[in-house]
Amino acid sequence: MRTKRQISRRTWLLSGCACTGAAWATPTRARGQPTFNPTSFEPLRIALPQLQYPGRWNPRPNALREWGLETRLRTRVEVRREPVIVRAEDPELFDTPFLYVAGEAGLPAASPRGEAQLRRFVDLGGIIIFDASDGGTDPGFERDVRALLHRALPGSELGRLSAEHVLYRSFYIVNRPMGRTRAADHLLAIQEEGRIKILFIPQDLGGSLARNAEGVHTHPCLPGGAMQREWATRLAINIVLYATCTDYKSDRAHVETLLRSRRWR
Amino acid sequence: MTEQWSLVAGHLPHPLLAALLVAVAVAAMAEAGWNARRKHRSSVRTEERWAAGAAFGFRVIGVLAVLAAAFEPSLRVESVVPTRQAVVVLLDTSASMQVADATDAQASPVPRIARARLTWQQSREALRRWAGAGLDVSIRSFSDAISAHSGDPSQMLAAQPDGGASNLAEALAELVEASPAAVVIISDGLVARSDAEREQVRSTAQALGVPITTVATGAPHLVDVSVAKLRCGEFAFVENVVAFELDVESHGLAGTRTVVELRRDGEVVAQKSITLEQDGTLQTLRFERAPDRVGQFVYEFRIPEAAGETTTTNNRQAFVVNVLRDKVRALHVAGRPNWDVRALRTLLQRDPNVELLSYYILRDWEDIDREDRTAKLSLIAFPTDELFREELGSFDLLVLHNFDAVRYGAYLDNIATYVRNGGALVVIGGDLGLATGEYAARPLASLLPLDTRRPTGLDRSPFRPQITDAGRRHPITAWLARTPKGWGQLPELDSFNFTGYAPLEEDMRAATLLVHPDLRTSDGRLAPLLAVAEPGKGRTMVLATGATWRLGFAHDLALVSGSRPYDLLWLGAVRWLLRDGSSERLVLDLDRTSYRPGDPVHLGARALSASYEAEPDAEIEWEIRPLDDTARESGDPMPRGRWTTDAMGRAQSTLGPLSNGAYEALAQRVGAPADSGEDRVRRVFLIESPTRELATIDADPGTELLAELAAYTSGHALAAANGDTLPLRLALRPADANERRGRIEARRDQPLWDGWTALIVLISALAGDWLLRRRYGLT
Repeated sequence: MRTKRQISRRTWLLSGCACTGAAWATPTRARGQPTFNPTSFEPLRIALPQLQYPGRWNPRPNALREWGLETRLRTRVEVRREPVIVRAEDPELFDTPFLYVAGEAGLPAASPRGEAQLRRFVDLGGIIIFDASDGGTDPGFERDVRALLHRALPGSELGRLSAEHVLYRSFYIVNRPMGRTRAADHLLAIQEEGRIKILFIPQDLGGSLARNAEGVHTHPCLPGGAMQREWATRLAINIVLYATCTDYKSDRAHVETLLRSRRWR
Repeated sequence: MTEQWSLVAGHLPHPLLAALLVAVAVAAMAEAGWNARRKHRSSVRTEERWAAGAAFGFRVIGVLAVLAAAFEPSLRVESVVPTRQAVVVLLDTSASMQVADATDAQASPVPRIARARLTWQQSREALRRWAGAGLDVSIRSFSDAISAHSGDPSQMLAAQPDGGASNLAEALAELVEASPAAVVIISDGLVARSDAEREQVRSTAQALGVPITTVATGAPHLVDVSVAKLRCGEFAFVENVVAFELDVESHGLAGTRTVVELRRDGEVVAQKSITLEQDGTLQTLRFERAPDRVGQFVYEFRIPEAAGETTTTNNRQAFVVNVLRDKVRALHVAGRPNWDVRALRTLLQRDPNVELLSYYILRDWEDIDREDRTAKLSLIAFPTDELFREELGSFDLLVLHNFDAVRYGAYLDNIATYVRNGGALVVIGGDLGLATGEYAARPLASLLPLDTRRPTGLDRSPFRPQITDAGRRHPITAWLARTPKGWGQLPELDSFNFTGYAPLEEDMRAATLLVHPDLRTSDGRLAPLLAVAEPGKGRTMVLATGATWRLGFAHDLALVSGSRPYDLLWLGAVRWLLRDGSSERLVLDLDRTSYRPGDPVHLGARALSASYEAEPDAEIEWEIRPLDDTARESGDPMPRGRWTTDAMGRAQSTLGPLSNGAYEALAQRVGAPADSGEDRVRRVFLIESPTRELATIDADPGTELLAELAAYTSGHALAAANGDTLPLRLALRPADANERRGRIEARRDQPLWDGWTALIVLISALAGDWLLRRRYGLT
């Protein structure tokens, strides 16, 4: 007679297998283990978001995708493959301190909340790139951008960016800003606190970068053709490098001075 | 004594109510009067005429009784005694009154205080006359402080003056309330060191509005050379030229050559020869020095004693200079530009005290392969060998930010040496460096507070870190512990390098400040996010994320004490890494840097552990050492001792009297290595007589100022050196109304409205008025 229930070897094995399987199936984070594989992970990629607003907010489709691709191919900056779209009112506006705003003919006034968000975006250190897709043929977009900036950043005015600015040598040495057009020989900017807060591109930079699904550029660059497009791409690269490194390149000018003036610890 | 009577109100109702009461009273009496007059004219019966008059009388008495109840009048009786006018004598007891000067070159010098005493003795007749004229004379002394003296004024005059300043303006200001009839100032007049102070004395004297009689105690001739004025800042920067300027003033020594020395901690570090010029001429000398190390130092100017000098106390002036670190030199190396790099660069660059050199890798090998050779790049080969091998030691801070260090593996040993020799290193995570195991090499890995020997990968799950107990106290993260919700109100981080704890964390005094809220290491502890260590002489910090930039850029970013959390985190980190004074773990406290002889010196210490917890039972040895020959020659035994810190990590001693001189206070943890700057602290202090008071001792400007004060206020200007005595008839302010009326010795008030009588009068009068009106139809 068995006075006590005994566990058979088969039960032991089955129970052990079941426990092992359950443990394996349990989410690793619940067990306090990492959920990632240290040898395989995605690099930290930055986004280059574009502002969506009522109206023609994306006159140069795929321009940002191309901008990111060129940046990845030419520099060590890792840019997300798919563009990110945000609205001025979205909290996601603050996911990245970079904002690209394209438009032509005009820019509808943002809501008071949107304008307040844009002001805070810039105040906290963000940079906004306005790209005039008209390429200098229609003053409507620039006029509306100025009006927006007047409301959102009172006391700040767009001014001509000096040809000596570090933006023109943050990666490539760019002698003259170009986009789809060469309507102006300069960029406009609001510079405060030692940095560019707002950059206005009158030459339709997006138009020079955009490609269609077949990989063909959608707009000709006039009057310079392919060479002008290359210069536009270099400007685009410089803008990303400036956004991520600020005026890092200006340190270089001081290296010799710094080293000469120092003493060994 | 006489008695004066007056009627006073015991209670004053609100003005509106009082006006209403008076108006009603006047109306009531007017109405009664008009009725009585009308009845008196119209009535033929005597009884009715009499009743009308009586009713009016009752009305008046009743109304007055009501007013008395409202205003509570009292009869005031005051006993008044005639007032005596006050005369205040202000005696200068500053150290300059000890100076001996003479009326001419042949005369023997006489201390100024001796002249004051003589003048006082020779003025007995004047003092007797003043008392006879009803003047009460009181005496006060002024120097650093003002004190009233009761008793025989001769005793005060007999005391040796040694005050460190001459606050005449303050002494005069204190008299405004007392409003004396006259003031007598006995002084050398050296009561103002600048035009502004002189103007303040003048304006205060005028505002007082009483005649001031002055007795100048100085004489025109003296022999002296002095350090008259210093222009030296309290702070200087190491290896930066700083200028120390002084003005030399001399009297009676024109044409004499002398040498001005500048000493540091008692050692002569510079000297200049000068020829002394005419009396009172200020000769400015400028010494430029570049302090070679950080710390507190006693600097001193000295001029040798000249023959026949009145005093040598003013031949030297010492001062304490805090030599600070120069601009912080930071090398910021990043493996890849991103928003985290941008945020840290912006922060460091914004700080005017940081000299920043950045080195960012902008291209990869593949990028170079794809490179358009015709494109003109702004990239210039960075002098890596120069920076990482030859000049690395010149940087105070090295930041390896998401940096794939293996690429520069040849330099990792240099970086380790740099840290062991006292450098500060920060390793910031991301998708390179920590993630790919670039810090596995032992020389560097053994100096980091986290285990970096294996690739950590990169976890992108958002999380909010937890602060540890050490983090709550540590200067890098203590601000987070003070916020109500901790990290709960701050943005989530979205990258994490899952490292472990360093195997030798005890040896390098490592502390973990922030941890991941969920992930645990193999030993069950929460995975570290931010940790610091102190290997060798250096400091290191590892931050296992590349996402702290989100603490400065977020939709609903909560400011902490008005600052972005990002700034608080990183500025705290930089301060700690660079051993900013606020981050010291052994602190020696002195309540000030300059003491008068005889003052107690309170010396205290605070000990903190590596995690900035108050360190109880810490053994600390301390000692006082003389820094200059004056202190050494005193022969005083130098205090020394040993502390054991209390539960709050504190210890304190009060030092007995020390002789004049410069001293250093040293403290160190018992058993600390001799070269451990972390466990040794030093402060300096001075014991000095009031040298500033004696910086300029020529009496002529003081005599002029006293004469001006007397002239402004219609007083008398006297000179003790000429044998003048106090005037028999002192210039006085005219007595004011109060003084003419006298002083009230006693006062009593007798209420006129109080008691049953007043109530009966009130009721009777009103009742009589009512009855008569009813009886005789007086309405």
